[in-house]
Amino acid sequence: MEQTLLVLPMALTVVGAFVLLMLSTVKTIGLRRYLAVAVAFLAVSFVIELPQFGNGPARYAFPDIFGKMYLIDDFSTLFDLMFLAGAILTLLINSVYLEKRKYYNGEFFALFLFSIFGMMTLAHANDLVTAFIGLELASLSIYALVGYHKNNPLSGEAMFKYLVLGSLAGAMFILGAAIIYGVTGTTVITEIGTFVQQQGSHYTLALTVAGMLLFVTILFKIGAVPFHAWVLDVYHGSPFPVTMFMASTFKIALFAVALRIYLAYFALSGLHGSEILTVLTILTLLGGSWLALSQSILKRMLAGSSIVHGGYMLIALSSIGLGSQLAAPAIMFYLLSYFISSVGAFGILSYIAADAKRPLTYDDFKGFAQKRPYLAAMMAIFMLSLSGFPSTIGFLGKFYIFTSAIESRQFLLAGLGIFIAFVSVYYYFKLIAVMYFYETESKREPFRFGMSTLLITMMALMAIWGGIGTGLIPFFPGADGLIDIAKQAIGSL
Amino acid sequence: MMEMLLSLIVFLPMLFAMVMGLLRVSHAVLRIGAMLSALAVLALVFYATLHFDPHASGMQFVRHLPWIKNYGISYYLGLDAISLVILLMIAVLMPLLHLYMWHYEKRGYWYNMLLLQTGVTGAVLSLDLILFYLFWETMLLPIFIMIGRYGHGMNQFHAMKILLMTVLGSMAMLFSILYLGYEYYDLHGSWSFAYDRLATLHFDPKTSIWLAAGFLLAFAIKIPLIGFHTWMAPAYSSAPTPALVILSAVMAKLGAYGLWRFGYGVFGPTLSYYEPIIAVLAIIGLLYFAIHAIMENNLRRMFAYSSGSHLSLIALGIVLTNIYAWSGSLYFIATHALASGGIFLMIGLLYQRTGSVHISNLGGIASVAPRFAFLFAFFALCIAGLPGTGGFVGELLIIVGAFQQNLGIGLATATTMLAAMTFVFWMLQRTLFGPARTHTEHFADLNNKEMLMLAPIALLLVVTGIAPSLFAPLFEPQLQEMLHRLALSVGGAS
Repeated sequence: MEQTLLVLPMALTVVGAFVLLMLSTVKTIGLRRYLAVAVAFLAVSFVIELPQFGNGPARYAFPDIFGKMYLIDDFSTLFDLMFLAGAILTLLINSVYLEKRKYYNGEFFALFLFSIFGMMTLAHANDLVTAFIGLELASLSIYALVGYHKNNPLSGEAMFKYLVLGSLAGAMFILGAAIIYGVTGTTVITEIGTFVQQQGSHYTLALTVAGMLLFVTILFKIGAVPFHAWVLDVYHGSPFPVTMFMASTFKIALFAVALRIYLAYFALSGLHGSEILTVLTILTLLGGSWLALSQSILKRMLAGSSIVHGGYMLIALSSIGLGSQLAAPAIMFYLLSYFISSVGAFGILSYIAADAKRPLTYDDFKGFAQKRPYLAAMMAIFMLSLSGFPSTIGFLGKFYIFTSAIESRQFLLAGLGIFIAFVSVYYYFKLIAVMYFYETESKREPFRFGMSTLLITMMALMAIWGGIGTGLIPFFPGADGLIDIAKQAIGSL
Repeated sequence: MMEMLLSLIVFLPMLFAMVMGLLRVSHAVLRIGAMLSALAVLALVFYATLHFDPHASGMQFVRHLPWIKNYGISYYLGLDAISLVILLMIAVLMPLLHLYMWHYEKRGYWYNMLLLQTGVTGAVLSLDLILFYLFWETMLLPIFIMIGRYGHGMNQFHAMKILLMTVLGSMAMLFSILYLGYEYYDLHGSWSFAYDRLATLHFDPKTSIWLAAGFLLAFAIKIPLIGFHTWMAPAYSSAPTPALVILSAVMAKLGAYGLWRFGYGVFGPTLSYYEPIIAVLAIIGLLYFAIHAIMENNLRRMFAYSSGSHLSLIALGIVLTNIYAWSGSLYFIATHALASGGIFLMIGLLYQRTGSVHISNLGGIASVAPRFAFLFAFFALCIAGLPGTGGFVGELLIIVGAFQQNLGIGLATATTMLAAMTFVFWMLQRTLFGPARTHTEHFADLNNKEMLMLAPIALLLVVTGIAPSLFAPLFEPQLQEMLHRLALSVGGAS
């Protein structure tokens, strides 16, 4: 019974997906109903999962059936919570957008839930094969979601680009896993970790190559340079809810598996993980910045900048290998901060894009502060947070990342990261500048209260609270409480 | 009350702005609220001054609360003589600026101004480096918006330029701050970013020099020293008047303040490595900016350059590390802020009346507007260091300090007074005297509201000019003590 309760959130997500799939054949159900059903399933999962955090030591789910494949610990629980919250927020914030676009139906939500299930599997996976299944489950659903707007050639192109390249990258994972199995005789991550620690020095080359193959897949999915060629087009071609989902929630899932594998595989051993990762991090930071700088369409700019944010987290990831105690919690915190700010920014874009016929550029935001002062102020908050301006959660996220890099004596990376943050000020502040510097002819529109705007407001408040918040308010974690939670989750590994 | 005092001074304007913004009050209420908040802050600062003990060592009215405990970041405010002088200057200028803006219709001005006040006072009072960084960046935003939204000329480009240059400096400083914090952690096993704790760290000289460079870059850009000054003239000429006054009178001074508090406060003896470099840059800047000012036809740019020249003088005074130069610099920080605030406000009025700030369009103002001409000449002469005004005392002390250091520096410094006299007299002659031009024929004299705004500044400049002994006891004991400590640590290090 207890075992059932542990996996119930995951099970509910799948059940929800199937229910939606069956409902999607019924023509009379409106979009609102689908949305309500999807959110209801996710919310129930969330509520069941929430008290499990901090609930004793790590254990295996149904060990007599699955062996050591499914691990349940604070780490995975925290990530599950983030996925569920991410999915709920993505759906609700985009409700206006979804309603204005007629091509959404029940399948869309079913795919959404399937991909969440895949991500949860990924977070729980203690086995490379399970991780692969989770990864592909999440990815396949997202491939379909990317091409969901069937009549839009951009969307179709994006889907094929992502599908072909993504499958190729996925194959690397299996190849890596196969080599590891050949060397170590197991695919269970914890056992591989033990093997690497004890006898890794005899097989350095094979293990490093295999590890890097695993990481090629992960780096591809987070869009690290030089595996980034798809990012801008795919983010641009996808419908807004999907872009938001990929940029925030899916990225969190990838770092979940990256952290688990890296901590077990590279961090404890003499394998050359950090050196290679350092080079890739530098490339990612520089390349992503270049891409983000040169865009005029906002969606593409955010896509480019999401590569850069992946780069920041890679800084911390390679610091883990060099003995930084803070790096792993720093990644968790950064994920959270990036999630809040990017979901907010994408949310406002999607809210406005619901009425627009063409992609939004910087120029479309001229005089936005006059037209919609509250939305403009919130957009400014998200931009500040993304650029790491102090008194927002984005600043603390970067603060933790850079201190962890300094802790592991990676001055080059810390310095470069700070320089890249400086560069990012340009493309984020350009949006603030166009919003506030221009007068507009059109009349001021009132602030419409609705699910989307309410949630965006909440995100903006969280971005501020996360940056300056203290533990003064009980039961409401400030900056301090969040990093404690992250530490606890990492501690359970 | 005492422990809340500094927090109130810092956050009152911002709270006002937030309340006003959320209630969406009418413009009339907004400006009255802003004025009330500025006056309340002024009263609080006076209260702090009355209870300030100049002979106490260390910080006063300290407020030290844990903030982000995991990283030892704290909410740490405190007041000493240096910050008190700057705080007084900000508090006095603010209500006058609000008075200048009284007829401004755009609400954005008022919100930005209130936020700006929180930013600058917060930066002056915070003793935790992360908190300092927070305010340091916060004060940049309103300036950015004000220049970009309400400025003229190529204002949007210049707003971006000032933003990027300043942020570049701040980022270098951030790196140094993080490194310091980590070193403290490495040594003590717990984090801290309090400046006095970080001051106890000992580095090998090479590391220390690099770390200090991060801070100095941020301060050099803010001051601006020559080489780091390219944002200055364009930003000054395209900023709207209130932002301009803040830029020259307050924000630039925070660079100098940072040199004291975090340059000498944290790095102490290491800074002696940079003293000659800064001194040379400052002396070149002094002359270069002064010559530029002589050649300038645009009044705003002229006083931007003269400001640059005098800020170099202040920076020079700080790195000379003797008591004359130090008290001169601190004195000059306050009096220059008043004088340049006064002159830029008057240039703003001039622009409102004539639509031009070019000297070639002006002339003969003295014959049609004697009150205006008198005050304008007074502020300009005060900037040039006319004896009997506050500017003179500060400049003289720095020059005395320079001569004490060595003859060459002394002579170079003294020439700037000459250069300043040159451009001020020449400018006055071309703008105020001679026949009236088309632009100045119907020049209206100052009205009572404008007199109310400018008279306090003029009065303060006279008082500081003829009775420096009223103010010096406030800060001299502490500067003496700091110098003493610095001398000890230099002795100890060598």
